[in-house]
Amino acid sequence: MLREDFIIQTNVRRILIRSNIDYSEITFGTVRGVVYLQGVFKVPRQDGISKDTEEIVAKTLRSLELKIRGIPGVIDVKFQLLNWKKERGQWTAATPTE
Amino acid sequence: MDGGNPNRIRRFKGKQSKLYKRILTEVERAIQIYPNYADLYNQFGLLLAAEGDMEGAEVRFLEALSLNQNYREAALNLGFLYIDMRRWKEAESIFLPEIKKYPKDGFLRHALGVLYLKMGRKKDALAQIRKAIQCHPYYRDYYKKKGILHGGVVLLDRMRAGALKKSRLNHHRAQFHNFIGLFLAKKGKSAQAVRELKKAAKLRPNEFLFHSNLGTVYYYDGAYLNAIKEYQQALKMDPLYGMGYANLSYTYGSLNRTREALQYMEKAVRLSPHYADLHYNLALLYSDRKRYKNAISELRKALRINPDYLFARINLGVLFEDQKKWSEARREYRKILEITPDNEDVRMRLERIS
Repeated sequence: MLREDFIIQTNVRRILIRSNIDYSEITFGTVRGVVYLQGVFKVPRQDGISKDTEEIVAKTLRSLELKIRGIPGVIDVKFQLLNWKKERGQWTAATPTE
Repeated sequence: MDGGNPNRIRRFKGKQSKLYKRILTEVERAIQIYPNYADLYNQFGLLLAAEGDMEGAEVRFLEALSLNQNYREAALNLGFLYIDMRRWKEAESIFLPEIKKYPKDGFLRHALGVLYLKMGRKKDALAQIRKAIQCHPYYRDYYKKKGILHGGVVLLDRMRAGALKKSRLNHHRAQFHNFIGLFLAKKGKSAQAVRELKKAAKLRPNEFLFHSNLGTVYYYDGAYLNAIKEYQQALKMDPLYGMGYANLSYTYGSLNRTREALQYMEKAVRLSPHYADLHYNLALLYSDRKRYKNAISELRKALRINPDYLFARINLGVLFEDQKKWSEARREYRKILEITPDNEDVRMRLERIS
């Protein structure tokens, strides 16, 4: 049975706030069980991208995606991030475009 | 950066002292990284005030205010600090403009009353006490309990005035525990956070914010029924705070009780009609109940407030698709692609109905 979008949305909100994420530039929405996350993805006090922080952020993104997919009723999660992209199942920092 | 006056009074012992030092160090470090964040200086000031370093606290609150002149919390912290420092005139000069901006702030009226008593201005004190009683039923009960309000008359003889003058306002201590509670909550230490926030609420039982924060900590910890209790308590203190009803709505949502969630979200939207996010959530609730007309209306309101609210447009497009209003659905999807041309998901949705 499809879970209601509002319930999914409240669960995503709770997951975002409980995670170690700076969600100030993230917006999210739910459309018929599909969760969309958009914006700039950061972990707190992330001032630049070093190899270490890249690994931390990638790990955080993987964990976030898993948590959201675990919400009953979620059919898919679509990330539309400005600074991170997922290619062949791997998260990498996106090169800023002019 | 130094940690304030080295001669400050040490008030914390054992575990509490360790936690205090850790928080102080973190705030100091954060100030070094973000020297233009007024809230960090305000937090630093609160920490120093809690430890008894009045001069150090004063400097930090002033720094916060120099970065943001409209920072009410820092201004009030400074005002209460001046009371603690017996600098009555300076405290008054901070409270008076605040009272002008927020004439129904009962606590501020009460504090100003106490301040006037300390200054020996009984007539002014009486005027503020009367206004505090009008502002909030809490103060009516408070003054009744103190024997100051009797049969609708405010009695302020020497004995009662003396007792009231000596009463503690507890502003800094309460704010300090609130800050520590929020700090611990961010670190995922919910049980400790709740303890601190409860201390804050005990010191200032009529403070809306502390109950609201307690509700939020309970909510994120999954203790939904406790969260509802605290949010409701907060709303008793400020029944016009729209976001408070939104918080209640999210909490009921987490309990799968969408009937109550809808009821509270409707109220939140009525009280805070300028938040696109609230309209969006209300639209989801209507859509889930197949009240599509209401859902569309709320999504349109969200988009009027924020035309770039992409999810609202996707939801709108999907609702139009449901109603076989293909051209309206296409219009919404095209608008999204104007804003985010790389949005493959929406491109596919558009292709499907083109």
